[in-house]
Parts: sequence; C-alpha cells; structure tokens
Amino acid sequence: MRKTIHEHILVCLSSAPSNANTIRAAAKLSKAFGGTLTALYVQTKSADQMGAEDRRRLQRHTRLAEKLGASVSAVTGDDVAFQIAEFARISKATKIVLGRSAAPKGRIFAPKPLTEQLVELAPYLDIYIIPDSAGKNRRRQNPATRQRIRPSVQDVLITIGILTLSTVIGFAFHRMRFTEANTITIYILGVLLTALFTKNHVCSGISSLAGVLLFNFFFTEPRLSFRAYASGYPVTFAVMLFASLLTGTLANQLAVHAKRSTQTAWRTQVLLETTQRLSRAEEEEDILAVMADQLLKLLNRPILLRCANGVTIRRHPDGEPAEDFAGANAQRFAFACGGKPFGEVLVEGDALEPLESGILHSILGEGALAIENRQNARQKEEAAVVAKNEQLRANLLRSISHDLRTPLTSISGNAETLLTCGGGMAESDRRAMLTDIYEDAVWLIRLVENLLSITRIDEGHARLSMTTELVDEVIAESLRHVRAKTHTIETDLGDELLLARMDARLVSQVIVNLVENAVKYTPEGSKIEISARRQEKEILVRVADHGPGIPDEAKPRVFDMFYTGSQKIADCRRSMGLGLYLCQSIIHLHGGTIAVTDNIPHGCVFAFTLPVSEVTINE
Amino acid sequence: MNKLLILVVEDDPAIRNLMATTLKAHDYRYIAAPTGASALMQASTAQPDVMLLDLGLPDMDGVEIIRKIRTWSQMPIIVISARAEDTDKIDALDAGADDYLTKPFSVEELLARLRVTQRRLNFMQTSTPSPIFTNGELKIDYAAGCAWLGEQELHLTPMEYKLLCVMARNVGKVLTLSFITQKVWGSSTESDIASLRVFMATLRKKLSAGKEDAQYIQTHIGVGYRMQKL
Repeated sequence: MRKTIHEHILVCLSSAPSNANTIRAAAKLSKAFGGTLTALYVQTKSADQMGAEDRRRLQRHTRLAEKLGASVSAVTGDDVAFQIAEFARISKATKIVLGRSAAPKGRIFAPKPLTEQLVELAPYLDIYIIPDSAGKNRRRQNPATRQRIRPSVQDVLITIGILTLSTVIGFAFHRMRFTEANTITIYILGVLLTALFTKNHVCSGISSLAGVLLFNFFFTEPRLSFRAYASGYPVTFAVMLFASLLTGTLANQLAVHAKRSTQTAWRTQVLLETTQRLSRAEEEEDILAVMADQLLKLLNRPILLRCANGVTIRRHPDGEPAEDFAGANAQRFAFACGGKPFGEVLVEGDALEPLESGILHSILGEGALAIENRQNARQKEEAAVVAKNEQLRANLLRSISHDLRTPLTSISGNAETLLTCGGGMAESDRRAMLTDIYEDAVWLIRLVENLLSITRIDEGHARLSMTTELVDEVIAESLRHVRAKTHTIETDLGDELLLARMDARLVSQVIVNLVENAVKYTPEGSKIEISARRQEKEILVRVADHGPGIPDEAKPRVFDMFYTGSQKIADCRRSMGLGLYLCQSIIHLHGGTIAVTDNIPHGCVFAFTLPVSEVTINE
Repeated sequence: MNKLLILVVEDDPAIRNLMATTLKAHDYRYIAAPTGASALMQASTAQPDVMLLDLGLPDMDGVEIIRKIRTWSQMPIIVISARAEDTDKIDALDAGADDYLTKPFSVEELLARLRVTQRRLNFMQTSTPSPIFTNGELKIDYAAGCAWLGEQELHLTPMEYKLLCVMARNVGKVLTLSFITQKVWGSSTESDIASLRVFMATLRKKLSAGKEDAQYIQTHIGVGYRMQKL
C-alpha cells in the first residue's frame, strides 16, 4: 500500500523580477502534489535600503503568492540560507523552490551559492531550481548595491561637516603643538562619528580616505601639499587608513544592529500584543476589530478592513472614522480563512516597508487563524446542538409510537366492532363506543397539535411568525378552544391594553395547555383563575387553580420532557409529558420565563412572562 | 329552506365522503370535485352558491384557483387547510377567499361557517346599495359619518370609525391584518398592526357596551378579524 505524504512546499519571495516565475512554478508544483504552499520572505539588513520600485515589486510578488493559494510568512536575519533552513524545519516543509542562485561566479572569496548552503543546512529538503530566463536581470538581484553607492545629500553634508570639524580641531592641536598622533586620532574619531550618523557605509569609507588625504595635505611637511618628506609617513597613512576603515565598518554594523534590534523588539511587541488581544476576542467582529487596531498601531495610516461576511471596519490615525478612501492610492492585502478568501485590508498610501509588510502579514495570518478557530468552535457547538436535538427527537418518536397505540387500538377496535355487529347492539352500547372513538380521536388531534408546535420550535426563530398582539384577545381566543364544562374559568385582564410581540398561535397553545392541565388535575367544580398584568417591562400571565397542588420536589421537574405527574386522577390516564415542556420552550423562545408556585390555600399557579412591546400608535 | 348549492373541492375520498354526508344530513345540495381543473369547470357550469376548497390539491395551487374564480365570480369561498401555518390561509384570504377552516375541523365548525356564509349571502342579495348599514343593533350612516348602537350614538374617534366602516363593508368575511391596515393606514408596518390592535380593542369595548354576548367583531388569532352578521 502506498502511503501518501502531505507535501508542504516552500518558495522564497524576493524583489527580483524573476521571482514571479519562481512563485508560479512553485504554485504549479504544489497543485500537482496536492500539497500546501508557503511563501517565505527573508528580511536582511539590505532590505532597509530597498528602492521604491523594488518594494512595489516585492509587494506584487507577495500578492501573487497569496492569489496562488500560498500563506505568506516573513522572517528576519542576515544569513538567508540559515533562516530558510530553520523555517523549513519548523514548518515541516518537504520541498523548496528557488530561483537560480544569485551568487556571483568567478570571485575567489565568493560565498557558496544559496542552494549549496541549503543542501548542507537542510539535507532532507528537496530543492527545485527555476532557471532565471532573463539573464540581464542578474545585476539587479541585489537591489541594494546601486543604492549603497549613492549616499543621500544629508549623509554627504554630515560627512563633510565632520571632516571640516576634524580639520579645524587638527589646526587647533597644531597651534598648541600637540603631536600628529592626536590629529590622527581626531580623524579616526570623525570616521567613527560619520559611520554612526550616516545611513550609508560608503560615507565612512570615503571619510576614511579623505581623512588620510586631508591629514597629508594640511599637517605633514611640506604642508598644503600631498607630498610627505618623512620616510615613515606611507606606513602612518596606511595604518591610519586601515584603522579608519575598520572603525567605520564596525561602527556602521553597530548602528545597523541597534536599529534592527529595536525594530525586532517593536515587531515582537506588536505581534505579542496581537496574540494576547486575539485570545481574548470572542466573536468574529471582535477579532476583526483587534486586527484593525493593531494594523493602525503598526502603520499609523488610514485602514479599511472588509470581509466576506459584510463587516467593514475603518480606522484612522486621527481617531475620526476614515473617509471612504477610493483605493486608488491604497495597498490591498487579502487574507484567507480555512482555505477560502475571507477578506481584505486596504492601507492608504504608498507601498509598505518590507518589515511593516512582514508584520502586517503576520497579523493578518493570526487574525485569520483566530477566525478559523472561532468558526470551527461554532461548528462544533452547532454539531452538539444537532446531536442533542436528534437525541430528543429519537426519544420523542419512541415515546409517541408507544403512546399512540392505546388510543389507536381503542378507535380501530371500537369501529371494527360497530362495523361487524353494530346492528345487533343496544343503542346505549353503540353510543358508548362512538363516544370512546370520538374522545380518543380528539386526544390524538391535541397531541398532533403539540407535536407540530414542537417541530416548529425545533426549527428555531425562522419559523415563528411574530406579530404584535393584544394579550386580552389572545387569552379570550385561547379560552374558546378549551373544553371545560366541569370547571368555572374566571378571567381578570385589567384595564390596561397589553401589547406583546409573539407568535399568537404558539402562545395561545401555552394558555390552552396550562388551562387544560388545570382542568385535568383539579376536582370537578373547582375554579380556575386567569389574570394578565403589566410588571414594568414584562407582561405576567397567571393561571391559578384550586386543586391539590404540586409537591415541592416535583416542581423543578414538571417542565421536563416526558415528565408525567403521579396523581391518580381518572381523566389523566394518558399524558405524554409534552405539554409543559412545550410551554416552556415556547415562552423561552419569546424571551420570557415560566414558573410554577403554590396557590393559597391550596393548588398551584403557573405564571409566565412576555416582554412588553412598546409601540407608537398611528393616529 | 337550506337549498344552497355547495361545491366541495377535496381530493381525499374519506373527507369528501364525510362532508357529503354532513351536507346531505343538513339539507344542503352539493356537488364534488376531486381536482382543481374539475373544480373550475364545475364552478362555471353548475353555478354553485358556495365553494369549499381544500388548499392541498394535487394538480393546482389553491390560491391560483381562488384568483381564477375571482375574475368572474364573487361566490363565497371557504378554504380548508391541513397545514398549521397561517401563511397559506392569509394568502388565500388576500387572494379573495371569505373564510377558512383548519383540518382537523369538527362537523359543528363546518356547519357554523356555512350558516355564517348563508347569512352573508342573504344580506348581499336583499340589501340594495344604501347609505345606511345595519347589523343587529349596530347602524352606520355612511353619509352622515356616524354610528349608533340601538338608540345610542357611538362616540368614535376618526380612526375607530374608519376601522368600523372597513369591517362593515366586508361583513361576514375574515379580513387579514394587512388588508385592514392597508385600507385604514395605506401601509402595513409593524406599528400599523400594533395600532390596529389598540383601536380594535377600544372599538370593541364601545360596541359591546352593555351587552357582553353581542360579539360584533371576532378575532382570528394570527390571521385577522371578522365582523359577524348577526
């Protein structure tokens, strides 16, 4: 038997133009294997100097990857191969797709190509290399290079300023007849400062060279010329140049590291906070709001988040709800949930910094995961409810089939007897049998009414037809359906007009069931009182009888399905224990409560509430 | 005098038998149709006085049959519905049916509905178009815009009067909530229905003044109201 292994394919994102082909190839591969696809962006320090065009291209590639069904992740680190290998190990990737390695050939100290590094670091990975068809793009594979040669105007000014200052101090030292070693130290200090305050390490290099030249020009004999008499000077110059270059490079790296560790800390903090807030969010709306808040915090730009479920959230840095920005100058990021597109985020303004974009994707990813978890949880809850309903239905069916037999036997038996030998029977016997048939049939009709109501309730709110009803009318109409020739029924409905939103048929059934119960369980000739009153925001309807009452231990159970009281009264030979269960379900569905209490001096009171409906009367 | 001709449209033979036996026992004449198509044919050829129409026919939608008949006849139609939902009854009433019965119904109920219909037919045949409407003690003078109960003039608000007129002009018919609110307010929103409940309650109180047993207006839970022909 063949065991299928789930393939997880990793593709690296970059700003190189050929990267799009690589992503497409990876997507095809993933489709062919039926595996999952992850696009990984490794952020190196050169990414900070990325040009606007490259940044846009990177974003295009990210979007392309998302469109092709990849989940996008970002990691930070200078050693690209190591980062990829680590990520592959953690995410259990099985295959990796790379563009042809950009490592320059023919240089003696050229680092090993990425593929070879990866083979060493992650020998278990299958590596696929997609050839770079456009060879002329090779130079642009390292987009930071051009940027590095051209320092900004600000950097040049800083460099010139520091060099001038160093020279001025050098002249002061010269005037004070300090040794040349002090002047050299000042120049090296200048290089150090240049390296710290400029973003480009070309500046510190130029500064090192210029320092040596200036020293030569101003402070060595003959002064104001590039010649030097003393034989030791070439060595001095060489040492000075070497020391400056080294200092500059070290200081530069220090600055870059400091900046990046602050960024990493910031990123970690935003992400951590996102995770914490997401874990507290309960509903999808909350999760989406957290996502929008965190994105605003991260980007400080107007944000629009909209989803397939119709939720739209806007956030604006000024706190005011953002104007509906057209999206012409906005960046779009889609996010998926459970493999299906779920929503998108619009960020106003230009393309994002790679770091920001990385965090943005992490936040979107986490949010989508939270929503997915929420959806899964809800599905589980729904499944549990369905299972419970199934159980109830099965119980119901069993109980009904059992209880139906008695009246059906009576009906069919009596009818059969009447058909076969009805002619020879005494008139009184025939009447008795016909009465039995009639009563059993009526009992079945009531049962079917209750069952129909139960199925309607099980199907939930959708099946209710809620209208505003006058409680008096509903009670009066219900009482017309009660057969209670043996009892006196008194109603006290007060003077106030009580309006409530309800499914009148169901509420009427509650009243019918309560009154019929009262009739059934109380001695003939006793009184049943029905009243309706307003109590603040509720309408309280009470059905009180003067029967034997219900013992305290049975009270909590009377509303249970299939609970039947133990009173031995002739008329209650058959009770399915559905009536009160149904009453409770109906009242709960209307947002009310139902309870049973003792009547004084004896008997019981069933009382239920319905929310009052406040209406404006149209004259 | 029970010489009404009744068309029974019902596909179930047992119920058809039951209705036939009941009608025969109470001196009604009847004809039966098991399908919608035959019902339409019988209705046009035999010219029945009343139609008892089951809504669950195998070949046609009951509401469709009512619409077709209403294009050429105003004969009273009583619909019979087996479903517990009110919507099909309301649809049928809005399409032009006069009354409804829900299965299972008792024979007594069926006969009561037929008596109501007969009174309504008599009223429609005998009364000439007149500016005065009378029903038991109730008298409405449409021209003067006032109403009396016996000798007593009723003090009605404009809304109550409008409501009373709508009920009176359709005496004997079950009117759906949306029909009444459309006639009185021109719309049928939730607050219109709430208003209807309130005005109907005050109107009824004024109509039943003194006499508890004289129920001019009947409530049909979940469906609407009807003014009874006394």
